[in-house]
Amino acid sequence: MAEQPLISLRGLTREYRMDAETVYALRGIELAIGTNEYVAIMGPSGSGKSTLMNVIGCLDTPTRGEYWLNGTEVSRMSDDELARVRNREIGFVFQTFNLLPRATALHNVELPLIYAGTSARERRRAASRALERVGLADRMHHRPNELSGGQRQRVAIARALVNDPSILLADEPTGNLDSVTSQEIMAVFGELHTQGQTVLMVTHEADIAAHAHRVVTLLDGVVHSDSVREAA
Amino acid sequence: MPLFDGLRLALREISAHKLRSFFTLLGIIVSVAFLVAVVAVIQGMNAYVRENLAGAIVGKNAFQIRRTPISVGFIDDEEYRELQRRPIIRAEEVEFVRRAIPDAQAIALQSGWPTPLADVTWRNRTVGDVAVFGVTAPYQMVQDYEMAAGEALIDLDIDDRRRVAVLGFDVADKLFDEIDLAIGRKIRVRGQEVVVKGVTAKKGTVLGQSWDGFVMLPITLFETTYGRRHTTVISVKMPEAYQVASAMERAEEAMRVARRLRPGQPNTFTIDTAEGLISFWKSLTRIIFTVVPAVVAIGVIVGGIVIMNIMLMSVTERTREIGIRKSVGASRADIQRQFLMESICLATMGGLLGILAGWGLAEVVAILSPLPSRVTLWSVALALGLGIGVGVLFGVYPARRAARLDPIVALRFE
Ligand SMILES: Nc1ncnc2c1ncn2[C@@H]1O[C@H](COP(=O)(O)OP(=O)(O)O)[C@@H](O)[C@H]1O
Ligand SMILES: [Mg+2]
Repeated sequence: MAEQPLISLRGLTREYRMDAETVYALRGIELAIGTNEYVAIMGPSGSGKSTLMNVIGCLDTPTRGEYWLNGTEVSRMSDDELARVRNREIGFVFQTFNLLPRATALHNVELPLIYAGTSARERRRAASRALERVGLADRMHHRPNELSGGQRQRVAIARALVNDPSILLADEPTGNLDSVTSQEIMAVFGELHTQGQTVLMVTHEADIAAHAHRVVTLLDGVVHSDSVREAA
Repeated sequence: MPLFDGLRLALREISAHKLRSFFTLLGIIVSVAFLVAVVAVIQGMNAYVRENLAGAIVGKNAFQIRRTPISVGFIDDEEYRELQRRPIIRAEEVEFVRRAIPDAQAIALQSGWPTPLADVTWRNRTVGDVAVFGVTAPYQMVQDYEMAAGEALIDLDIDDRRRVAVLGFDVADKLFDEIDLAIGRKIRVRGQEVVVKGVTAKKGTVLGQSWDGFVMLPITLFETTYGRRHTTVISVKMPEAYQVASAMERAEEAMRVARRLRPGQPNTFTIDTAEGLISFWKSLTRIIFTVVPAVVAIGVIVGGIVIMNIMLMSVTERTREIGIRKSVGASRADIQRQFLMESICLATMGGLLGILAGWGLAEVVAILSPLPSRVTLWSVALALGLGIGVGVLFGVYPARRAARLDPIVALRFE
């Protein structure tokens, strides 16, 4: 039997029912992603990239179709089971950082571990290590408003990493950053991938997508193209 | 999420909005304070009535044989007419009682309530509204009077209807520059001249009313001025409290014999201890205790609704935070617990602050008024329980709302 892919999507569909009409955000996505891949998802605005990421990140559930993660079917899971998967298997980085504004960088990074029931001592150790990995060892006790955009996104990446996830998801992580900072953040993702982290990233820009080894393009909620690049 | 982390989170959230939290809790604080203070005052009064007032009126280890009961409760016309038909207590009946209770410490006859008030004058000095008692000598023992100066009344004073008097401390204090100077002086009580024989030691105040503003006359002398009063009573004082019950039974028998009542005929007198008074007081406080919980309940419900509204507002304000927490793995139960913990902490703080405020209020009442107060454990426990209960009851709905938020919708919330 062939090795199972990390993520396997079959006929994945997500519809939004508005009052009168139905919006089809995803209409039958077929996609498999293996361990240690670095995949960029591209496509025009409204093509369903965020919806796809949210479903893979277990923040959203598909209307139809199957989503398998690590050999278990996620698409049939209950709310609380999904919360558990988000907590254990997923690291999500958002365009808008989504940090708790009144908490320090360290506390923000600890957050997933609090819900994992990790002891305070272990939490602190793991969170500091994650912050070191993204180069923020000296900013642990700063609050988000005391950090630059790039630093905030690094905190968010550290938070996504802290539970040692199967996959790191990022939805336009550089969308709110200037180009220099964007390059720095992309370097962080590249470094993490080199260390063995599976990365799935949505981006608009071709030069950012160039960091990835595989580019999947969406159009109107279906996979339009899927190309593996030669290693750089 | 571990309980400790949840608690810390809740407390941090509350202290981040101190002023808002305080105003949120005002309803709970006021209701709980009211509860604690009212209960404290009533409990204090209860203890006071039992320990001081009852003893002061009837005497320690004492009971009274009376024409009508002490208690002032509601009686119907029929009962009232029956009480009116009863004969007056007579001096001769004291003898019957004395024979039946040879172990009594003192048996006295005294003029009863309402006590006539009179001006007492010495030379150009006058003390108004002095309570005038007519008593037999043993009355002074029933009331445990001690003499500050001079001597107590003796049997001969009564038998010979001597024109003598014993003054309460306050009366002597106001009439004379020194207590000792009172002895042997001729004073006038409602115009009648009497010689001061003794002055009693201070008994202090009961419910802010001086217990030392009286003049005691031999009952025989008293009756020449005021006539035989309908409220004359016999007081019996026993050496020990446990002897009171049996003595009361013997007194009843003796009175029935004295009045030649046949078996089956009802008593034409009442034998009462201070219990009658206490039970009247209790029935009064029972009414208060039914009104107070209603008032407190309304206050607490209003307070709870305020908490619920503030928590709903807080859920809305923190929608994004909820989204963030859910996105990193918080379950519905985690979020629900977080908000429930917060409302419970809030309400419990309200309870605690209310207890402190109520306690303070009770102390202020005790200091500024003659009403004593005593904060009781059960009212404190009840107040705390109320606080926690309100936190749970009115926290559940906002907490559930928070828990049910869709993570994506919550994350997009501006
Ligand atoms: N909550 C929603 N309700 C209704 N329609 C939605 C919702 N979220 C997304 N959509 C629609 O689904 C489609 C895909 O959206 P999205 O996944 O955000 O696209 P992208 O991220 O590629 O720009 C769009 O047409 C969008 O309007
Ligand atoms: Mg998008």
